[in-house]
Amino acid sequence: MDNQKNKKIIIIEDDRSLQNALVEVLEQEGFETVSAYDGEEGLAKTVAEKPDLVLLDIILPKKDGYEVLAEIKKGECKNIPVLILTNLEEIDNVQRALDLGATTFMIKSDFSLKDVVEKIKENVG
Amino acid sequence: MFLKFLNGMNFIARCKKYGLGLWQCPNFLFLLMGLITVAAMVGTFFVSQRFASEGVTIMSVTLVVAFIMTLGSFVIRGVEKVAEANILKTEFISIISHQLCSPLAAIKWNMEVIESERDPERVLSDKQRTFLTNIKKSNEQMLKMVTDLLEVARVDQGKAIFEKKKLDLGDIVEESVADLRIAAAEKNIEIVLKIEPVSKKVCVDERKMRVVIDNLIGNAIKYSNEGAKVEVGLKEEGKKIIFSVQDWGVGIPRYQHSKIFEKFFRSKNESRYRTEGVGIGLYLAREIVKYFGGDVWFESEAGKGSTFYFSLPVA
Repeated sequence: MDNQKNKKIIIIEDDRSLQNALVEVLEQEGFETVSAYDGEEGLAKTVAEKPDLVLLDIILPKKDGYEVLAEIKKGECKNIPVLILTNLEEIDNVQRALDLGATTFMIKSDFSLKDVVEKIKENVG
Repeated sequence: MFLKFLNGMNFIARCKKYGLGLWQCPNFLFLLMGLITVAAMVGTFFVSQRFASEGVTIMSVTLVVAFIMTLGSFVIRGVEKVAEANILKTEFISIISHQLCSPLAAIKWNMEVIESERDPERVLSDKQRTFLTNIKKSNEQMLKMVTDLLEVARVDQGKAIFEKKKLDLGDIVEESVADLRIAAAEKNIEIVLKIEPVSKKVCVDERKMRVVIDNLIGNAIKYSNEGAKVEVGLKEEGKKIIFSVQDWGVGIPRYQHSKIFEKFFRSKNESRYRTEGVGIGLYLAREIVKYFGGDVWFESEAGKGSTFYFSLPVA
């Protein structure tokens, strides 16, 4: 079960309290984390750090989650799994993210932190 | 009867109720249109008799029609305003709910972090843990309300996501009951399970069905008296699986039977101010069950209790 050791996860989330909670729990689980607070920063850090998994919010400053996702999937990082973590549960949002190549879609308010960690473990490259 | 008719004619009060001006109010405009049509017909009759000239008659008819059409456009604008208000309301609910979701999720996750603390020096005391559990419960309540509201907005806009998987309804019911036992225990209510072995599965979305079952059993608990019993049943009948939940609580007065599935309807029964909720649980339950080809119905008598049922076709 220690496959997460040394795995790097980038968290692109502008809400600092969500970001803090995610960092804390993921580090407890042995992951290495990188935080980004807007779309541009997230994209730049993804390209620079080559993480094992990207955790991506949709509503983000500077560049929204869809734009970030599209650019990740176009470039050299296209094989990195991208997990969408949002509160937008309308069918067009989910479909759009999946069409752009997202691995899975999670609704923040429906998931506990534990569920999120489970999903990450399932999908980490 | 006559009073009711008069009341219906009191368009000024009605327009006020809908927040519309007189020239945007269909009730008023239709009445005006009717009066003008009658006046125009009588007028045209007299004009044609007196002047007996075709040209004048045609002119006057054209003028009247043009006037009525102008008035018609006011009516259309009035209706459009109402329709727009409806869309705005749905969008408003969905925006507010979305905005509430993020901080509520943040509270939930941050509390989980506090709870998961493993360092024995920083671990919570029992008392702190009790209060944390209280906060968590309140937060869950808010989250449930907001997500239900969002779901209603989604269903209304046709944007809800429904997965379809072959599932055992009994499993979903048991999970729901297991989660609701805590709320039941607080009122000292016993949930009795009467699940008959059902071999056939149903084709549903597990999360949506949890909303339905949680809402129906939750209502039974909510409207029961302290120390009462709630009975949850599941059986196969022909090509249908039938779920039921019975309580012996306040019940629903007969005159409200036709309204309880309405959106935002809060029964005016005696525990109206003793229970919480926004009045969308049943509406949502019925919309979801209908989506999967089933039906929701109930039997209830004021003061004696209610039984709610839903049926789903076997997959």
